[in-house]
Amino acid sequence: MAEEQNYYHTKLEEIKGRFNEREDKSLKRWRDTTLEQWEKISNPVYGDYENSSGIKIKDLYTENDLPSDIQEISGFPGEYPFTRGVYPNMYRGKLWTMRMFSGFGSPEDTNERLKYLISHGETGLSIAFDMPTLYAYDCDNKKAVGEIGKCGVNVTTLKDMEVIFDGIDLSKVTTSMTINAPAHVLTAMYFAIAQKQGLDLNSVGGTVQADILKEYIAQKEWIYPPEAHLRIIRDMMTFCTDHARKWNYISISGYHIREAGASAVQELAFTLADGFYYVEMGKKAGLDVDKFAPRLSFFFNSSINFFEEIAKMRAARRIWATVLKEKFGAKNPRTMMLRFHTQTSGYSLTWQQPLNNIIRTTVEAMAAILGGTQSLHTNSYDEAMALPTEDAVKIALRTQQILAEETGIADTVDPLGGSYYMEWLTNKMEEEAMKYFDKIESMGGILEAVKSGYIQREIAATSYRRQKRLEDGKEVMVGVNRHVEDNEKPLNILRIGKEAEERQINRLKAVKSGRDEDSVRKALNDLRNAFLDENKNIMPYVIEAVKSYATIEEISNVGREIYGGWKEPVIV
Amino acid sequence: MIEADINALIEGILRSDRRSIARAISYAEGANREIKKEMLALLYNHTGRSQVVGITGPPGIGKSTLIGNVASLMSDMGYNVAILAIDASSPYTGGSLLGNRIRMQEALNEKKIFMRSLANRGARGGLSESSIGSTAILDAAGFDIVFVETVGAGQADLDVMDLADTTILVLGPGLGDQVQAIKAGIMEIADLFVINKMDRDDSYFAMKDIEDTLAMDDARPFTRKVVGTTVKDMESYRGLIDLIKLHGEYLKESGKIGEKRFRMGIQWMIEDELRNRIIEPIMSKIPANSRNKNYYSIIESIGEFFSETMQEIKEDKII
Amino acid sequence: MVDGKNQSLFKEKPIKILLAKPGIDGHDRGVFVLAKAFRDAGMEVLYAGLLPTPEEVVDTAVNEDVDVVALSLLNGAHMTVFKKVADLMRERNIDDIALVGGGTIPDEDKPALESMGITGNYGPGTPLAVIIDHVTSRATESRLRKLR
Repeated sequence: MAEEQNYYHTKLEEIKGRFNEREDKSLKRWRDTTLEQWEKISNPVYGDYENSSGIKIKDLYTENDLPSDIQEISGFPGEYPFTRGVYPNMYRGKLWTMRMFSGFGSPEDTNERLKYLISHGETGLSIAFDMPTLYAYDCDNKKAVGEIGKCGVNVTTLKDMEVIFDGIDLSKVTTSMTINAPAHVLTAMYFAIAQKQGLDLNSVGGTVQADILKEYIAQKEWIYPPEAHLRIIRDMMTFCTDHARKWNYISISGYHIREAGASAVQELAFTLADGFYYVEMGKKAGLDVDKFAPRLSFFFNSSINFFEEIAKMRAARRIWATVLKEKFGAKNPRTMMLRFHTQTSGYSLTWQQPLNNIIRTTVEAMAAILGGTQSLHTNSYDEAMALPTEDAVKIALRTQQILAEETGIADTVDPLGGSYYMEWLTNKMEEEAMKYFDKIESMGGILEAVKSGYIQREIAATSYRRQKRLEDGKEVMVGVNRHVEDNEKPLNILRIGKEAEERQINRLKAVKSGRDEDSVRKALNDLRNAFLDENKNIMPYVIEAVKSYATIEEISNVGREIYGGWKEPVIV
Repeated sequence: MIEADINALIEGILRSDRRSIARAISYAEGANREIKKEMLALLYNHTGRSQVVGITGPPGIGKSTLIGNVASLMSDMGYNVAILAIDASSPYTGGSLLGNRIRMQEALNEKKIFMRSLANRGARGGLSESSIGSTAILDAAGFDIVFVETVGAGQADLDVMDLADTTILVLGPGLGDQVQAIKAGIMEIADLFVINKMDRDDSYFAMKDIEDTLAMDDARPFTRKVVGTTVKDMESYRGLIDLIKLHGEYLKESGKIGEKRFRMGIQWMIEDELRNRIIEPIMSKIPANSRNKNYYSIIESIGEFFSETMQEIKEDKII
Repeated sequence: MVDGKNQSLFKEKPIKILLAKPGIDGHDRGVFVLAKAFRDAGMEVLYAGLLPTPEEVVDTAVNEDVDVVALSLLNGAHMTVFKKVADLMRERNIDDIALVGGGTIPDEDKPALESMGITGNYGPGTPLAVIIDHVTSRATESRLRKLR
């Protein structure tokens, strides 16, 4: 471990050393004459210019702020260390994927929506689940009352997934599922349907989020203690590497970390630290880093501080490539490429004057594009209140289309590369992230840092600090603490009724009365035995269990009995 | 508060009604001294049955989790258990994050154990002023065991020894520094010692250190002991429970249950009376800028004013 | 705002508040910010942790004898879950603990919540001072009821 700590520490010194503070005589002359005279005439009122990460922004950047060897440090697009983009021609060859995620109400509602999207040429499906599914509770659990179908579609048994994908050929689509703690169960259900359709799992493409570390950090949707979930991820990793080569079994997510109140630097640092952990885990499981790591992809937030977001994404690529190569011994450039999906920030949206959110989302989408994202979800203007209405979703999609097709933003690769400010900020973000890696290593790694609550407390402190800055007017949200309007008209928002809940509970009853209880018991028992044997892979047993129509909660209870639950450390 | 209300409250406490107990503790915490004293005076006749177990030790050592688990097991064994946990208040705003509860919430939910968080409100010594009254209320309500968790803010939480029948000092591996941090003297006050986080490799040495210290105990009526615990093994708490029971039996046999608490309660009332009837009225007459005057004559006259009473007390004419 | 006379209600015994998210909802940024803000406003603050049931929330409120329970949900289940808490309070005849709400609550739901005695119902972006004032005024009602 001392050796590892050395790595980030040495790297930090190296990054700091890139800035050699030369004395710039012409800048000094400018300050002493032109600027000073102007200030005398204009009496400026200066604010405190600071980004979300607390980095102080200078009044002017010059050549002097560029790292000494910018060309070498940045590299060319499509080449190590990928600062300027993972592909040589970026969007000139192929635009980013406009992936809008959806899913609500009952499986029938979602099936209808998916078929509608497919009939309009969409092949990349994306599904959101409701809270009970995310926590692996059945739809008839007491805790689930009032929550069915509210934030996404409910899935309790394989039967629900069969309804969702009824009439959809899984060899013709890829499906992204936003699911974490029970990702293995949903993956198993998807695989079970593919097998029923007679498909080889190696031909099935899709993504589950399955990033459990960020759950403990931010989204707080877990079932077991970290070690149990990490074992499950290990099993998914090895199972998919061997049997489902096109399945992205993890999407390492900064989005939720940011939404939980983190700064851009914290999002960058904690997400990549999670990523490094998964790489280490794969290596420990005996996998070749160049074989499994290319399947790892990322999911970032794009928030409202335009340049900071772009710098964050550029820095992320550079850090990932460098660390994968230098620390984890990757040889294949593909392994070093950080590919990512972006979603614009939900937290930056306001329920006051909601149409303003369209502008915010536009700026955030531009940052994601200039930051070199591979796919993008733009939020709808009514999302501060509820799930989006169809009209609002359409504007969000049109926003991307206007940016892509009208503005010329995608005409050249990394248009901000070489900007004094952008390159300085990219370096600064990298430096600040490296400080966190160094600190986290000294605490015994990210898992320990999360279990002790350190990461969560860092985020809570940032988010409280930001709230204070808003209250003090040091930061502005239009419509919230400046340019406030009274008597705003309420929006029409999407409401999810009780029907989904009734429908789900009735279906579950029918499934339970129709299934063979003996095979359910046997499947769950086999799964238990697999769990108890560290050397076994649980995935085949999870697939058998879902096929027996065991429920998501029954399957998860097997692990609950063995590992117990997990109690969060005290954060505040 | 009218007589009937306070009687109803007392009656509620005596039949262990949770809402009455909770409300009574609020009175014990509150500003109204008359209610507080009247209530406590009525309750003292019903106290002296609970074993009050004070738990102290440095911050972060896992006191709350330990109490939660021990309370849960004792509850299974048929004991009627209650918990008081003291959190620190901010000296600047008076506010407090009462974080102890959440650390034991699971045990509380499952076993329906009564637990109350108290902010120390600037009181020193690891307790809150209200902890005296609150333990009396819980004692009167018929709880067999009342755990009191001190702030554990690094300073010596010595006052707990005056409140608790059984004082337990929780330490962890890497003990040397902790004993330094909580200052000398604390080893003296504890009846029992716990080394928490026994799953750690270095915990053996901590056990050994304590055992060596205890071996030098001379002629204490109760032979002090140390035990190891870990969250990773629920069974490890049973050793601690056995010791708590053992100390409880010793106290009962020697008639010492509630002895210290009773004294502390009386002392608090005397101090409260003096503060409110003498000290504060006098201080309110003394201007902030008082350097120029000689107030020592006042002290002199107070002394004279009481001399007769004090003489009678000394001659056992009053008490 | 609370007048000077009532402010003295809290002089020796600060406002005690329980923050709870009694649903399947892990969005805790808001409650953490509020917990710190209430503390800095001089209150004694409890947080009920992740995923408590409405029963657990009411039990905690009673045992701790808090002045206010602040409920927060951002998962759209407030009409079911907040109501459950309010119902339990009524069943147990608890009228000296105030309920306030917050989260993503559409305007049209607010009258129904108010009629259950759940007030405030602030959304994201509400200034902390507004929330603190509201809590203080509801706590005043509770405290006066407790003293009756």
